[in-house]
Amino acid sequence: MDDLRQLVERAKHAASGNGREDLCPRLDTATQRLDEPGVRVLVVGEFKQGKSLLVNALINAPVCPVDDDVATAVPTTVRFGDESATLVFTRVGASTADAALDGSPLERRVVPIDDLERYVTEQRGSRDHGRRLVGAEVSLRRRILEHGLVIVDTPGVGGIGSAHAAMTIAELPLADAVLLVSDAAQEYSEPEIDFLRQAVKLCPNVACVLTKTDIYPRWQQIAELDKVHLAGAGIIAELMPVSSTLRIQAVAADDREMNRESGFPGLVRYVQEGILGRAEVLAKRSVALDVAYAAEHLSLSLQGELSVLRDPAHNQEVIAGLEAARLRSDALKRQSARWQTTLNDGVVDLQADIEYDMRDRTRGIIREAEEILDAADPSLIATQFDEWFQQRVAESVADNFVWAHERSQWLAAQVAEHFAEAGGAALPDLRVADTTGVLDPVRPMPPIEQDHISFGGKILIGMRGSYGGVLMFGLLTGIAGMALVNPLSIGAGVVLGQRAYKEDKMNRIKRRQFDTKVVVRRQIDEVILHVAKQARDRLRQVQRLLRDHFIDVADDMQRSLTESIAAAQRASQLAVEDRDRRIRELDHAVAQVDAITQQSSQLSMQGNTVLT
Amino acid sequence: MSESGSGRSPSAMEQAVRSVLLDAVEAYQDDTIAVTVLRQHLDRLEEPLRVAIAGKMKSGKSTLLNALIGEEIAPTDAGECTRVVTWYQHGVRPRVTLTPNTGEVRELPIRRIEGRLQLDLGEDAPGDVERLTVEWPSPSLRGATIVDTPGIDSLSTNVSVRTMTFLTPEDEPSSADALIYLLRHLHASDVRFLESFRDTAVGGNATVANTIGVLSRADEIGAGRIDSLLSARSVAARYREHPTIRQLCSTVVPVAGLLAQAGRTMRQSEYAELAAIADQPRTVTDPMLLSVGRFVRPDAPVPVPPDRRAALLDRFGVFGVRLALTFVRSGMRDATALSQELVRRSGLDEVRRLLAVHFSERAGLLKARSALLGVDRVLRDRPHAGTETIAVDIERILAGAHEFRELAVLSSLRATHITFAVFGPDTNEAAERLLGASGTGSLQRLGLGSNATDTELHAATHDALRAWRVRAESPLLDRAGASACRLLARTCEGMLAALGTDVTPTEAPPKAG
Repeated sequence: MDDLRQLVERAKHAASGNGREDLCPRLDTATQRLDEPGVRVLVVGEFKQGKSLLVNALINAPVCPVDDDVATAVPTTVRFGDESATLVFTRVGASTADAALDGSPLERRVVPIDDLERYVTEQRGSRDHGRRLVGAEVSLRRRILEHGLVIVDTPGVGGIGSAHAAMTIAELPLADAVLLVSDAAQEYSEPEIDFLRQAVKLCPNVACVLTKTDIYPRWQQIAELDKVHLAGAGIIAELMPVSSTLRIQAVAADDREMNRESGFPGLVRYVQEGILGRAEVLAKRSVALDVAYAAEHLSLSLQGELSVLRDPAHNQEVIAGLEAARLRSDALKRQSARWQTTLNDGVVDLQADIEYDMRDRTRGIIREAEEILDAADPSLIATQFDEWFQQRVAESVADNFVWAHERSQWLAAQVAEHFAEAGGAALPDLRVADTTGVLDPVRPMPPIEQDHISFGGKILIGMRGSYGGVLMFGLLTGIAGMALVNPLSIGAGVVLGQRAYKEDKMNRIKRRQFDTKVVVRRQIDEVILHVAKQARDRLRQVQRLLRDHFIDVADDMQRSLTESIAAAQRASQLAVEDRDRRIRELDHAVAQVDAITQQSSQLSMQGNTVLT
Repeated sequence: MSESGSGRSPSAMEQAVRSVLLDAVEAYQDDTIAVTVLRQHLDRLEEPLRVAIAGKMKSGKSTLLNALIGEEIAPTDAGECTRVVTWYQHGVRPRVTLTPNTGEVRELPIRRIEGRLQLDLGEDAPGDVERLTVEWPSPSLRGATIVDTPGIDSLSTNVSVRTMTFLTPEDEPSSADALIYLLRHLHASDVRFLESFRDTAVGGNATVANTIGVLSRADEIGAGRIDSLLSARSVAARYREHPTIRQLCSTVVPVAGLLAQAGRTMRQSEYAELAAIADQPRTVTDPMLLSVGRFVRPDAPVPVPPDRRAALLDRFGVFGVRLALTFVRSGMRDATALSQELVRRSGLDEVRRLLAVHFSERAGLLKARSALLGVDRVLRDRPHAGTETIAVDIERILAGAHEFRELAVLSSLRATHITFAVFGPDTNEAAERLLGASGTGSLQRLGLGSNATDTELHAATHDALRAWRVRAESPLLDRAGASACRLLARTCEGMLAALGTDVTPTEAPPKAG
């Protein structure tokens, strides 16, 4: 880590030393990223498998409420804080629907930690003075949280009446790592394996934890069975058997033996190396790429001047080449540049596609709903229908979201490709003719890596920031909370109305069916409206982010080329005696920059093999 | 399980059902396939009630079965075990037969490992086997045939499909007359299954009468703590009141199956081992009980070898061992007393009582219903001349027979389609009880204790009759509610008639206007 910081310092020094202070802000941002990693780990799993107790054991504090019966109803985030604090996030709204979908601002409120249980568990209704709870956050001073680890305890999937499964899937692209928790009472069930299959597609870092090994005598057998299931499904993930109860007792009694038995040392090591370590590697790589980027631009101006000095005969060609490149980079910044068109058109298309996709999915739901309603009396199946409907809608929204996310990434790659094709990637290849062995051959400049144009840390973090896990969860909770079939609203006439007695029973049922179908369609329209609005907002952010990023790159390109041209022209005017001196200076500077480039590529590759 | 079986005389309704079946056999005499099916239904009327045990994988079905039978015969395992629907019925001597999907029924050799049956399918794959039938000379099986099913959410979908086909076939009435459904937590798939089971009933939701929910592995709900069963009881109570579950099950009770099985089959050697461990000071045993790993450690200073300790854990579970040691320490020096106490704590007795009340007492009714649905199916699948009157009879019985109507109203009450809340807070409960929710005997219907005198019984019945007749005229009820009140009154009249009293029609109150 320190090596990297030193490297960044050297690069900044070189930049300002060679008149390129404009490259310094990017390097400053890179350092910031090293200081504030923010690695998000989701703890997921089915109902009552021991997730909350696991989180409590990991951080050694009874933060997440644990109970034999009731369960966590909203996600609880745990992160490092110098002072302990507990926040709850609420939105104003009488019902979850109003709260989540109005776009009303997220309110943060500090509450005493003892009250957290009251807020977060489902039994108590998570409601408070017309505000709906959408999440909670706890800050603690703990070593395990020190390097930016953020642990999120999620509500269990599969519990009755929960669309939680869909919500959890939607959270996955935004997580850095996922821990699937399952207890040692039985081997993996089909839903758990299905979930794992989806999870490994959406999140790069998935591991499995087997809990409650203190009370199940056959836990080793279960662990073996689980490994077989994982292998059978082609899922590569580590399996760690632990007992949270033993760990908590071991820590309280300072009993090393018990701690070893609890299996937690292995889990903690995984968190530190497998999760934090890997995240650190990724962060380092991104910083190293930024440094390499700066170095290459520096190199350009230096090389430009150098080649003119060494080969004055060709200086016109060199300058002409640089001018041509500058014209290209000018073109890149214009609105009509191909990549801009791709981006703008792409966003518009994607918006339309997202909406269409949502309509398509919900068309299927409407069809199914009408089939169900045609075959039954709505008042008899009201609750089941409601639940079914909410589950299907939540599934569709989550699928739509994941798909939109993939498409956004694809769009970003497309834009980067067009940018590169238009010459944004390669700085001009300045070859210097071979002179008679006096000078070292100049290294041909490699094109700037696709990677660090399109996927510099800024983009990834920026894109993630535009989502915010709480938003997604809130949206789906909102949809789930919309009261769909209110028997009163549909059958109000029946109990008290005079008309009802005269109507035949069949007619009454038909009327209810018709009314329910109308309600279903209206509901679907609402859902599409809200999803489209969220998608629009998200895409707008993504568009802004990508556009700003590529324009910055074009700017840098232009700046470098302008500098090179100026330096080359200056050099061509230089008196002969000054030339040699200047060549020496430049050689020295070039050697410095080369060293920086080499070290940055070393550090970025080093991370891949060595985990600190 | 009730030992009485079908010793009482068939009711009028059951006789009507039998005659319907005989008529159908005669009408279809030229159609051999139909006749075979009809005869099967006829035979089924004489057979014991078919009670299926279902639930998700590893919910404890086979363990509960063993506890009910009183012997450890059904195999259980850490991994998924039951893969084929297995019938356990009474037989004079032990016998295991395999019924493949196609082909001849063949007998399997009886092999037991540590008492458990080894059900080896031979060259047949589980998918080719329709069912296994185990005949066993256990008195508990006289009253009912118990069917053990594979988990409804097994990892290999073929396995769960077999259970679904057996219990909730697409277009047929179920092969089970009644269902014990095991759940550990209330999961969406549990509700879906229960709803499918209810929906297979053509013409009338009767699952309120023929389904019992069991909160299984109750000792694990509290993570093996000594107060686990208390927690389990409150969880079960919560599920009982859950609006969806109320419509699908008559009640939910907690059971610690492993404890029950171990209690009923405890061996003297096991008691001796537990006593030997309990004799050690608590400073030695308490740390051992912290985790299963510690309990079986080779270096533990107890005079019981590690493999025997592991076997105790397997048999009793962590909770069971902790509980047993507590009991032995508090003075229970007798294997019989210990096993009885363990069984009592496990909640098994409550399950047996419910089986007697809900299943055995209603056996005739439930079987008759299955038979009628079966004949109805035949009439629809294979139309035949001369069967119109039979169809009408079936309709009449299903819609008109008092017992069936009682079930229908009970279902409606549970589903809150009808409610008597306007008459006071306890009226719904009283109505359910009167319809037989807690038992079909007169005392249970009226909520009287077993020491009530005849006079008290008479008085209570008269009061109920009067009350329900009055309520039937109330303008606060809709048509369905009023008809339900009349049905309840009819039930009271039936009870009075059974008591041998004269049922004088009370004057209906003068109508307004």
